[in-house]
Amino acid sequence: MRRAAVAGLVALAVAGCGGEPASAPSATSTLHATLVDRDGDGFLERGPGEPLTGPEGGRVLATFGQLTDAHVRDEESPARVPFLDRLGPPLTSTFRPQEAFSTQVLDAAVRALARERPQAVVVTGDIVDSAQENELDQALAVLRGDVVRPDTGGPGYDGVQEASNPDPFYFRPDHDAPRHPGALAAAQRRFRAAGLPVRWYPAVGNHDVLVQGEVPATDAIEDVAEGDRLVTGLDPSFQPPTLDEDEVRTLLADGELFGRAETVPADPARRHLAPADLVERLAAAAGVRPVAGRLDYTFDLGAEVRGIVLDTADRAGGSRGVVTADQLAWLRGQLAGDRWTVVFAHNPLEASDGGEAALELLDRTPQVVAVVSGHRHRNAIERRDGYWLIGTASLADFPQQARMFRLREADGGAVLETWTVDHDGLGLAGTARELAFLDAQGGRPQGLAGERSDRNVRLFVQP
Amino acid sequence: VIALALAGLRARRSRSLLAAAGVLAASLVVGTATTVGFGLATGFERSAREADLPDVIARFDAEGRETLDERVRALPNLAARSYRMEHNNVPLAANGNFTHRGAVHVVLGGRRGYLVTEGRDLSGRAGELVVEQGLAREWDLEVGDRMRLGHSEVAGVVGIAVSPDNVAFPLARAARVYVPERFAASEPANLALLWLNDPSEADVTLTQARAVSFGLGRLEFVTREGVRVLLGQAAGIVISLLVAFSLVALAAAGTMLAAGAHADVQRRLGALGVQRALGISPARIGALQATEAALVAVPAAALGIALGAVAVAGPAAALLAALNELPPGGALLLPLAGTLAAVTTIVVAAATWPAWRAARRPPVEILRGGTIAAATRRSSAGAGTARPSAAATPRSSPGAGLAALGARFATAARARWLASVATIGVCAGVVTLMLALASLLERLRDDPGTVGKRYQLTAALDPSLADEVRAIPGVADAAPRFVADAADSFRLDEPFRLVAYPGDHTRFEAPPLAAGRRLRSADEIEVGVGLADALGLQPGSALAAQLPSGEEVRFRVAGVVRALENSGRIAWTRPDRLTGLSPALAVRLDGGADRDAVERALEELGAPPQPVGGATTRNAAFLGVLAAVLRGVGLAVGLVCLYALVQALAMTARERRGAVALLRACGGDAHTVACVLAGAAAAVAVPGALLGVALELTVFGPLVARLAAGFAALPIAPTGGQVALVVAGLLALAGAATALVARRVLREPVVAGLREE
Repeated sequence: MRRAAVAGLVALAVAGCGGEPASAPSATSTLHATLVDRDGDGFLERGPGEPLTGPEGGRVLATFGQLTDAHVRDEESPARVPFLDRLGPPLTSTFRPQEAFSTQVLDAAVRALARERPQAVVVTGDIVDSAQENELDQALAVLRGDVVRPDTGGPGYDGVQEASNPDPFYFRPDHDAPRHPGALAAAQRRFRAAGLPVRWYPAVGNHDVLVQGEVPATDAIEDVAEGDRLVTGLDPSFQPPTLDEDEVRTLLADGELFGRAETVPADPARRHLAPADLVERLAAAAGVRPVAGRLDYTFDLGAEVRGIVLDTADRAGGSRGVVTADQLAWLRGQLAGDRWTVVFAHNPLEASDGGEAALELLDRTPQVVAVVSGHRHRNAIERRDGYWLIGTASLADFPQQARMFRLREADGGAVLETWTVDHDGLGLAGTARELAFLDAQGGRPQGLAGERSDRNVRLFVQP
Repeated sequence: VIALALAGLRARRSRSLLAAAGVLAASLVVGTATTVGFGLATGFERSAREADLPDVIARFDAEGRETLDERVRALPNLAARSYRMEHNNVPLAANGNFTHRGAVHVVLGGRRGYLVTEGRDLSGRAGELVVEQGLAREWDLEVGDRMRLGHSEVAGVVGIAVSPDNVAFPLARAARVYVPERFAASEPANLALLWLNDPSEADVTLTQARAVSFGLGRLEFVTREGVRVLLGQAAGIVISLLVAFSLVALAAAGTMLAAGAHADVQRRLGALGVQRALGISPARIGALQATEAALVAVPAAALGIALGAVAVAGPAAALLAALNELPPGGALLLPLAGTLAAVTTIVVAAATWPAWRAARRPPVEILRGGTIAAATRRSSAGAGTARPSAAATPRSSPGAGLAALGARFATAARARWLASVATIGVCAGVVTLMLALASLLERLRDDPGTVGKRYQLTAALDPSLADEVRAIPGVADAAPRFVADAADSFRLDEPFRLVAYPGDHTRFEAPPLAAGRRLRSADEIEVGVGLADALGLQPGSALAAQLPSGEEVRFRVAGVVRALENSGRIAWTRPDRLTGLSPALAVRLDGGADRDAVERALEELGAPPQPVGGATTRNAAFLGVLAAVLRGVGLAVGLVCLYALVQALAMTARERRGAVALLRACGGDAHTVACVLAGAAAAVAVPGALLGVALELTVFGPLVARLAAGFAALPIAPTGGQVALVVAGLLALAGAATALVARRVLREPVVAGLREE
């Protein structure tokens, strides 16, 4: 009996160490089944999977997962600007109907990804929504499998989605269709997260270091964030379109949010982390070593594959990524050797300042398999010379998917198998996905799930 | 069995014909009620389906189509979308007719949402137009006619269309035409038509639509269900009443058929006893009875139903056309066939069941006579005897005595008498209901009280004069009524009417609750469905109202009400938190108040009163069509009444054949016989009339009101005059029945009756 138990533990340990995943996909893998709106009624049903096609490749070199753009948020924070959402593009991400459930969604995605048995998981940025310390506390608690305390400020929900808010531009789960009475209250309850059972590696996103992913924290913003005045709506006499992104940045930087406001309990845990503090905390949590205050580092994915993480968040402000000359030099130094290399960054390099230079560097490096990013909240795969540019959908918007990768040997090169993973949809995470799909400014109308060729494919690489 | 049944029917030819006449009369009611009820009850759905009516119609201030479509196409559950630009108050002229209330819809591509019933749809070429069917009928327009739009543009009619998103012109004030985009190039849109994959999830789509509607002025959503309600508010209260009336008439006809068939068997119990004595089994007797009943019922019911359907088909179609709805056509055949089956089943069951029950008793017991259940309970006061009792004949008034004798004849067989009274009662109830409906329709036209407004006058008087106003004879109540044009303070482009009364506002305005409860404090508010739809309000949610003074007041929504006024964009609260508003006095009158006197008294107090408007159309043609429909059903019901009376009298005369012959042998003349029969008729007609009024008051009226009262509380109670009219009408019918039966009785030789006795 005891011998059998030991044998079982050994088997589990071997599996946990990142061997080749079982051939049968898990329930949340989209290889097996995924969620579709067959009848077009706005609600998702279980649909057929999207299995990989083409030659399978040989020996598995590495298996890893990606979580990105979780945007774990303090939805009750006075430093938020959800009222700008109604102005439409480009401000559509300031409010989401499902925003109160971000920790639950991340937890569901972690559970789903763990079932795919990756060797490691890379969290490619925007793990939090607005650089607040309490947001990072919650996100790390989810990843570590600790007790998560989503409630901030005073006990219970104090935000724009309360049923008592007369503003019809907000989705109020207690009485707007589809109704989810009690969901907001439930979202504030503490819970124990499942946690990632494997090493995870963070990348920094603009929302991790900038307020609303746009502006560096200022004293004025700090006062707003830690204060008790929650601005819930625009001045009703305000009429679009007169507001552009620059005006929003100015508005946020000045801390002079206008419009109607409610009084909410103040919470000092809402302070914004300085970028260096954030990098330090992430590095410590993941057990990696940053370079010169930026979270640039490498890690091994087994003996034959290496990961390189680039910190593309522009500390000066704005959501566009940046690759500095110093980072470029550092990257050049990391590309030596003959191991297969996967580069991870929050921002797509092709849409970052200095990113093109980095890509040209990678163009000259035959061992590069792919550049994997987030930020756009969209599944997208493009070929670039000898490697692949892979973007992955967010957990904040529909389709709320994670991504898995499996690198195999192939004749004359390697094949990178990738597939998306639906979160398990349990509890409030399921509610969040339902609302994310319905959101008229969200991932469904924007086509963020991408085409099938952006999700589940075999990608060949020949050095 | 069929041969035997046919032989039996031939042997009792006149009785069989009488029974068939009864079935025919009741089936006439069934046919009319089914035709009217089915046509109207299914009219909207049928027309909406055939015209491809959108699931959601959104109206707003004109907006560029590109901007608009960017928002609309992102909505969940969306199957298709199209846009229109609606220009209102456009002068239209054609065929010598003119209106300055033209509604010109510029069709901006996509699905139409209307059905072209004649001609063709717009081809996209300039100079074409499609006119709404109501307008075409009213102005006698045909395909190929020319119409002037605005002051100079002339277009040719290429098609005539129906769209049940509103009632038809002239019931609707606007005359609608559709023109292609090139009529006014580069049009923005102010109307979006949305078709949903799952219409039952329309609220989900609307929630998202609201969330992305910032900047759209005066946004208003109407769902297909909402259109149905709006139509109901425009004219459909009448429709609901007619449908409800039809249902009640159907139930009544069923009762009458059952009672008639049952009574017929009662009359034939003796014959059944003979059959049993001859050894025929109860099952065979039952089968024979069923066959006989079916042979009578099927042709009579088919003929009655067909006649009823034909009689009201024209008015019903006209009524549907006035509502922009399509007639059922062949779809009506199925329900008519169903009612034929139902009528036959009722008649056969009502005839077979008592026959079979009776036949199971020993033949001797059957032959000994009496009804099935009450044979042993008959009173000894003559119920079981044919001889007139001396005590029953008052010496002072021979006529009254003879009538009393007739009454005793009629009531002697209790079960049959009760069946007759029930039949007459149901008929009388239906007639009373019709009369009450007629006056309700008038009140709907003239009196706002029928749809929730319980005050009839307003006067611009100081609230301090409320007590003096209440003291005016004929005034039931008076209170200050505050009105403000408020706006949702989150969407200043969402105006609504805010009405406030101190205390219980339902004393003056009580639109029916659709959800939640009545308000109980000054912090609470009741909102109309239209406002709730626009702002996503439900009981428990908050409404922030911006008052004309600029002040914002927040209320908690206590209830959502089905309000007619201001397209439902209205709310009721208490005035405690509203400042700077000047109220008028709302005045509620007593039932029989002298309105002119009250108005004079109010004028003397310093302000001429203003009447409160009615709730339905004054369109004469529409009301004329309604009257025709009601007349059709009423005629059928009257025939049933007459039949039931004749049948009751004939049976009484048949049973009391010997007694009547004895009277005649003792010197009784035609007058004597008529008095006896008149007494018998009155014994059925008078309680029947009273029962009918009671039925209307306690069953039919409330039932119709509940069926039709989706959005209004409808008082359907007859007046004293109407009750008197029903009683008088029934007595007149009783007189006619008496005359008919008396003629037949007097034709029979006295000896024949005495011989039987």
